Amino acid sequence: MSAASRDRDSRQAPPRRGARNHRPGFDSRRRAWARHHRHMASDSARRLLRQPLGSLMTMLAIGIALLLPAGLWLALDGARGVGSRLEESATLTAYLAPAVGEREAMQLADTLRSHPEVDGARLITAAEGMAEFQQALGLDDALAELDDNPLPASVVISPLDTSPAAVDDLRGQLESVEGVDEVRIDLAWLERLSSLAAFGQRLALALAVLFGFGALLIVGNTIRLAVESRRREIEVVTLIGATHAFVRRPFLYSGAWYGLGGGLSAWLLLSLGGRWLTAPLQTLAESYGAQFVMPGLGWQGSAMLLASSTLLGWLGGWVAVHRHLAETRPR
Amino acid sequence: MIAFEHVGKRYGGRFEALADINFGVARGEMLFLTGHSGAGKSSLLRLIMRLERPSRGRLLVAGHDIDRLHDSQIPFYRRQIGVVFQDHQLLFDRDIFANVALPLEIQGVEPREGARRVRAALDKVGLLHRERALPIELSSGEQQRVGIARAVVNKPALLLADEPTGNLDPQLSADIMRLFEEFNRIGTTVLVASHDLALIARLRHRVLRLREGRLISDERIDQGGVA
Repeated sequence: MSAASRDRDSRQAPPRRGARNHRPGFDSRRRAWARHHRHMASDSARRLLRQPLGSLMTMLAIGIALLLPAGLWLALDGARGVGSRLEESATLTAYLAPAVGEREAMQLADTLRSHPEVDGARLITAAEGMAEFQQALGLDDALAELDDNPLPASVVISPLDTSPAAVDDLRGQLESVEGVDEVRIDLAWLERLSSLAAFGQRLALALAVLFGFGALLIVGNTIRLAVESRRREIEVVTLIGATHAFVRRPFLYSGAWYGLGGGLSAWLLLSLGGRWLTAPLQTLAESYGAQFVMPGLGWQGSAMLLASSTLLGWLGGWVAVHRHLAETRPR
Repeated sequence: MIAFEHVGKRYGGRFEALADINFGVARGEMLFLTGHSGAGKSSLLRLIMRLERPSRGRLLVAGHDIDRLHDSQIPFYRRQIGVVFQDHQLLFDRDIFANVALPLEIQGVEPREGARRVRAALDKVGLLHRERALPIELSSGEQQRVGIARAVVNKPALLLADEPTGNLDPQLSADIMRLFEEFNRIGTTVLVASHDLALIARLRHRVLRLREGRLISDERIDQGGVA
C-alpha cells in the first residue's frame, strides 16, 4: 500500500477499534436521549398502573396534603372578594350633638345629603338607634331601666368616592358642619378583616411549604421503596456503564406521575368540596348583605397546582434516587 | 492495555486484599487470573472495573490512570469493558433479547441497529432461537452464555470474566472458554479469573497466580495449541 493510498484510506475511514471509539454524533445522541425519555415515561406509567390501588393511595395522600393549603388559598381569595365588595359600601356615621332635636336632625340630614361628595344619607333617630341597639344586644330589660335615651341621633352617609383618603377627607369636612358632634368611619372591622386575611395568607404560605414538603416526603418514600425493589437492576446497569441520569430517569418519571396524580386528586377534591360548601356560604354571605361567588382555581390556578405537584413529585424521586446513588459510589 | 504499578488495596484500613501488584497486559492478549477464593481475584477485577479504587499504586487502563477519572466519566469508561459475572447478573423481569440489549440501550444505540447487534451476539453464543425466553427458563450454562452475549454486544476492547464457569460442568466450562478464545481471536483483550486449574492448564495461555493478595507467579505458556 503506497503512502498516498494509506493517507486516503485514513481520511475516508477513521481508525476503527471496535465500539470503543464509536462516538455517536450529537444528533443521534439527542435522538437516543429523547427515545429513552419517551420509553421511561411510558414504562414508569405502566409500572404505576400495574399496582393501581397502591398508586392511587399514594396519589390520594399527596392530593390530601396539597388540598389544605390550596383550599385555604381559595378561601382567602373568596374572603378578599367579599372584602373588596364590602369596602365599596364603606360608610361614615355622623353622630349629632345631643341637643339637636328630631326636626333639626332631619334638616341636618338633608344638608348632609346635598354635600357634593355624598352619595346618600340616612337618618337614624335616637329612638330608632335605641331600638336597633336593643335588638342587636338583646338587652331589652336592662335598657328599659334607663330613664333617658342616652343615644344621639345619627346620620349614616355613603360617600361617592370610597377610597380611604377621600373618605377621611370627607370626615373632616362633615365634622365642621354645625350640629354634628363626631364623625366615624365604619372601616375598623374592614381593617380587621384585611389583617385577618394577611394572617391567613401567611398561614396558607406556611402550610403550603409544610404540606408541600410532606408531599415530597410521601413521593420520596414511595420511590425509595421502588428503588429498593429494583436495586439489582440498578447495580447491573451501573456495572455496564449507565450514567446516573440514566438510572434516575425512570424514577423521576414515576415521581412526576405520582405528583401529577396527586395534583389531579387535589384538584378534584377541591372542586367537589367547593360545590359542597357553596350553598351554606352563599346563605351566610347574604345574611351580611354581601354577594358571594365561590372562588375557583380557574385555568391558571389549575395549571399552577398541577405543575407544582408534578414538580414536587419529580423532586421527591430525585432525592430518593440521589441518596441511593450516593451510597453506592466507588470507594 | 492494562498496567498495574505497585497496586495495593486495603479494606477498612486493616485487611489487605491486594499488595504490591505489578503486571501488564498487552492489547489483544488473553490471560487467566487464578488463586484460591479470597486470594484477591475479585478485588483485582473490581479495581479494573473501577468499582473500587486502589489504596496504593497506579492502575492504567488503555493508557489512562483510572483513579483520576471523574465520577461522571466512570460510566463511559465502563462501556469500554465487557464483564461476565459468575452469577451472570441477568435481569429476570425481561427476556433474553432485552437483557442482551441493555448495554446498547444505555449507550443510546438506535433500536434497529441495536437489534441487529443483539442477534449477532446471541448467534455467537448459540442462543438466537431463545431470544424471547425469560432467563429463568434457561439452564445455568445457557444463562452464562446470555451473560457473555451481553458482555460482548457492544464490542468492548476489554473483556473481563469473574469465575464464568463456577457453576458449570467440565463440558460446558470448556465451551464457555472456547467462546472467550474466539473473542480473543478477533482482537478483544480477555482476562478470566478462574480457579479451575485443570481447564486453565489445557488452554495454554498466560496465567497470573494470586495468593493472599500477592502475585506469586506470572507464567507465559506457549500458545502452541491455539491457532
